[in-house]
Amino acid sequence: MISVKGLRKNFGSLEVLRGIDEEIRKGEKVVIVGPSGSGKSTFLRCLNLLETPNAGEIWFDGTEITCLKKGIDQHRRKMGMVFQLFNLCPHLTVEQNITLAPVMLKKASKEEARETAHRLLKRIGLLDKAEKYPATLSGGQKQRVAIVRALAMEPKVMLFDEPTSALDPEMVGEVLELIGDLAKEGMTLVMVTHEMGFAREVGNRVLFMDEGLIVEQAPPDEFFGNPRSARLQDFLAKVL
Amino acid sequence: MLDSITSTAGGWIDSLWDVINRVFIFDARYTLWLEGLGNTLIIAFFALIIGLVFGFFLAVIRVFHGASENPSWILRILNRITKIFVTIIRGTPVMVQLLIFHFIILVSVRNGVLVGIIAFGINSSAYASEIFRGGILSVDKGQTEAGRSLGLNYRQTMSRIILPQAIKNSLPALGNEFITVLKETSLAGVIAITDVTRAAQQIRGRTFDPTPLIFLAIIYLIMVLFLEFLIGRLERRLRRSDQR
Repeated sequence: MISVKGLRKNFGSLEVLRGIDEEIRKGEKVVIVGPSGSGKSTFLRCLNLLETPNAGEIWFDGTEITCLKKGIDQHRRKMGMVFQLFNLCPHLTVEQNITLAPVMLKKASKEEARETAHRLLKRIGLLDKAEKYPATLSGGQKQRVAIVRALAMEPKVMLFDEPTSALDPEMVGEVLELIGDLAKEGMTLVMVTHEMGFAREVGNRVLFMDEGLIVEQAPPDEFFGNPRSARLQDFLAKVL
Repeated sequence: MLDSITSTAGGWIDSLWDVINRVFIFDARYTLWLEGLGNTLIIAFFALIIGLVFGFFLAVIRVFHGASENPSWILRILNRITKIFVTIIRGTPVMVQLLIFHFIILVSVRNGVLVGIIAFGINSSAYASEIFRGGILSVDKGQTEAGRSLGLNYRQTMSRIILPQAIKNSLPALGNEFITVLKETSLAGVIAITDVTRAAQQIRGRTFDPTPLIFLAIIYLIMVLFLEFLIGRLERRLRRSDQR
């Protein structure tokens, strides 16, 4: 579904990604872990071109999107993204946040979009918050709304950039549960996280990034049970 | 004793009446006040509109240029012109600008009030553009990323996500600018417009009495208070979403 070839990205003289090759297949749940500054968020943000790569190719659904100048918006509609800080629009109600893109991009009529929004809000138990502004929600509620906002565009893949890092500990669970449900329904997802338990339970494949490279990758059992490289062993010793 | 108190009080009221009569009523002087007040309000109102609209476009040019990785030559030229324009307007006194508009740029325009509107409007647009630009830049980068990641293009993200928040953030500074413009119109007299300040000055000259200046100050204060009231209402409306 997404294939990445020789991806490089620098910020000024700093090389953040130093040549990444990766293939994400339909239905896969890929979890990316690694120390901060390893380039994992940048890698994720390159996948929908929120960051423009300096070199390399990204193919999505059989199209090379790295060379597109105009059509990138079309592809972003099929890639939902969830951010660490939620990035809900504070001037719009919860419902308006969810319906904004589908209505504006003529994916649905106002009525249809409203129905979808209500169905999604009902699913996450926040239907009563439809008319409220994001400022009235807790962190966990905001993040769950941000997730269904992305889902309202019916994406083929969901990208999660540390979705629980900004949450109070007691709210992490509700967000991970929702992401886990999506995974069970067969959604393709790529997630950068520090939640090792989640990586182990939900991931099909765990990637370890360090200094701009994917150093090691394996299914979770092997990844956590039998890490090969010294750097991963060192990392796991610190975080587990 | 009682007599003297009532006569003093009566004297005080009498002399106030005297002053009001002299400043406002005698010789139908209120018509001069009203003419001046009308011109002040007309100039301030239309200058503000010009400043807002033109300033908004200037700000969008600057921000759009800043956000483009590879701006087109048209955008680069517009951005350069905007920067030079803001520098010139902010770098010269508004009174000098007013004189230049009156004696050079718009010398063929007979309508003084129109010259005033244009001069103050152009002046205000430079300040308003910087206020809007600051407002746009103050919106968190994550808002743009949220819009773009949903598949909205730059223009759609700007109009539906960034600008509504930017305008709200700009309001306090814009309120300041409104008040400044209103008060700056008191310079309009230098190009022979009868604004309220010039009206007061003329009455002062005719009556050899400086009290019209005190009334003038009170009139400006009342207008500013009213403006503050309107801005406050608007801000409260736009802050609805902040309520918890």
